[in-house]
Amino acid sequence: MMPTIRMNDVKTHRKRDIFVEGPIDPAFIAGSIAKHATRTDIGAHEIFLGQVRADVIDGRTVEAIEYSTYRDMALERMTAIREEAFTKWPGMTCLHVHHSLGTIKAGELCFMVFASAPHRQSAREAVAWVVDRIKADLPIFGKEIVEGGGHIWKRNT
Amino acid sequence: MRRTIFEPMKVLLFGLIAERAGTPTLELSAASTNELKVRLAEHIEGLAALTYAIAVDHRMVIGNMPLNGHEEVAVLPPFAGG
Repeated sequence: MMPTIRMNDVKTHRKRDIFVEGPIDPAFIAGSIAKHATRTDIGAHEIFLGQVRADVIDGRTVEAIEYSTYRDMALERMTAIREEAFTKWPGMTCLHVHHSLGTIKAGELCFMVFASAPHRQSAREAVAWVVDRIKADLPIFGKEIVEGGGHIWKRNT
Repeated sequence: MRRTIFEPMKVLLFGLIAERAGTPTLELSAASTNELKVRLAEHIEGLAALTYAIAVDHRMVIGNMPLNGHEEVAVLPPFAGG
């Protein structure tokens, strides 16, 4: 009898492009969820979504963030984070990451981390950890465009 | 390997650093990251007041590191992903 090959057995962690030009469409996220319907070993999905916030800085409201990146380094760092995540949570079925580039208006989505696993705990822990690592380690830069036309460079704390 | 002739190398600039420099790349000669910081300060006004890091071949440099001129060198302002 042929052994069943599960997706978990083959994790190549090739350098994938996480970047998308423009905001992340909620319909795309719905589509991503729907694609997992065939994976009946999954019991839990955990999704983090980052949304551009209309912060008020020195009395001026942020209208958008213009994201740019050092793409080669970011993708290399992301591959390392992905490998470490699957080492820490070997039961995780899959992990999908997308980050926007270009101008994203306040209220639009700019970041998605989506993990699936048989049970909620590993999906939940993995997403929290991956979000923090991406914010700390990926060379992504954000220019906050404020009303009236000026800008302020954003920095993660 | 230390170069005997310091031909300029291409340095990649990002975000606020590129904005201040008025260019996304600079051609500079430096035998170490510390020397590179001195050269950068000569080309980018007000650099000393800015927070930035040097990445060599996609890795963040802590302290000083020799350069042979064939690495991919980048100057990175604080990250803002997410």
